[in-house]
Amino acid sequence: MALILGVQLLLLNHIHLFGYATPVVLAYLTLTMRRGTSRVAMLLWGFCIGLLYDMASNTMGMAMATCTLLAMLQPVLLKLFAPADAPEDMRPTMRSMGARPYLLYALFTMLLFHIVFYALDAFTLSNWPVTLMAIGCSTVMAFLFVVIVQLLTNSIETSREQKHSRK
Amino acid sequence: MRNLIEFLQRYLYWLVFLVLEVVSLLSLIRYNSYQGSVAFSTANEAIGSAYKLGSDVVAYFHLGEENAKLEAENEQLRRQLHDREQQLRALTTRPDTLPVAEVETESDYRFVQAQVVGMTLHRSNNLMTIDRGSSDGLRPEMGVVSSSGVVGIVYLTSAHYSIVIPLLNQRSQISCRLRGSEYFGTMQWERGDADVSYVNGIPRHAKVKKGDWVETNGYSDIFPEGIPVGRVQKIGDSADGMAYRLTVKLGADFKTLRNVSVITNYTKPERRQLEERADSLMNL
Repeated sequence: MALILGVQLLLLNHIHLFGYATPVVLAYLTLTMRRGTSRVAMLLWGFCIGLLYDMASNTMGMAMATCTLLAMLQPVLLKLFAPADAPEDMRPTMRSMGARPYLLYALFTMLLFHIVFYALDAFTLSNWPVTLMAIGCSTVMAFLFVVIVQLLTNSIETSREQKHSRK
Repeated sequence: MRNLIEFLQRYLYWLVFLVLEVVSLLSLIRYNSYQGSVAFSTANEAIGSAYKLGSDVVAYFHLGEENAKLEAENEQLRRQLHDREQQLRALTTRPDTLPVAEVETESDYRFVQAQVVGMTLHRSNNLMTIDRGSSDGLRPEMGVVSSSGVVGIVYLTSAHYSIVIPLLNQRSQISCRLRGSEYFGTMQWERGDADVSYVNGIPRHAKVKKGDWVETNGYSDIFPEGIPVGRVQKIGDSADGMAYRLTVKLGADFKTLRNVSVITNYTKPERRQLEERADSLMNL
């Protein structure tokens, strides 16, 4: 978690594609919550993630509200996209869910996150083309980030397993 | 009773959800309209120093650029010094003019140098963190400038860090005028480009050309008059057609901004008091 937050604050917050799109990958942290975790715990967890981000980037309240909302919706989204035969305590990853459902799930979550986040930022409908562009570009970048992280952890896990089997 | 408890247990998360959302939204609104708590922002000591570390590393890669800028500024200062010396000589050779000391006390401002350690550019209301705070003599409402123009106004200070509202914030309003004339307007930024802002309220009979300098007019007690803000890039009309709406290319380049100065002794308590008293009179 600290790693994701660090990457976000020191690296991604400095990306401004086309002048206004900054990807926020905080949703990755709610994305990977294990299925069957108590919902209250998930909410508090989401809230804390948002709080830390807000404190560090002077956006008091924005990420807090968004992360809490996502933590609330995560089980619903998961139910929507996870394969029917998935185990009850599954940790959503590309491996456990299968590539296609997982990618859809991640894309949808990221889209939702950025819609809420930028809507709170703009707070009005004036200048909405800018807001829409920001949402679109940031979502795509955040999604790519999730894919990269997933592929990395995937390959790390595979190599670990291979070592085990060799022993 | 048991049913009630069961009901509560089942739907507790809804309650928690609502409470947390309300807390977040309240803090969103509160923080934006009042002087927020320093502890929950980048003026916070721990986060401030982490950002400083990050920006120190980045600073290293911009050394060449900074050097060039400093050299240019040196050159300009040298030229100014030369001009002043000549003026001085001209004045001292004519004993019937004012004593020199009185002429020169006008621009006696004190600056505190600071470095930008964190900044956003593309939100609706951007903020900037600098590495000087109240222990260096900074107070809210002091003006922040860079070698190329006005940067913003100090908003919050902790012991060693401050948050600045830069020009790139929809809440920032700075009174400015066209150089060489007394026509003035208010500069207000709109979300989008990080290097242009807009000046409203310049009357239509003012003579404006593309490339004209826009500078502070000294009406507020934050900036002394004559500090450059930017140059006119486009001349348009205000929504009601009664005045010009100028698109101004900002002098300060916020994308690469690192070194700024805070004007610490311009705000005069006497003037402030007087204006506050006048305000309270209006509210009666």
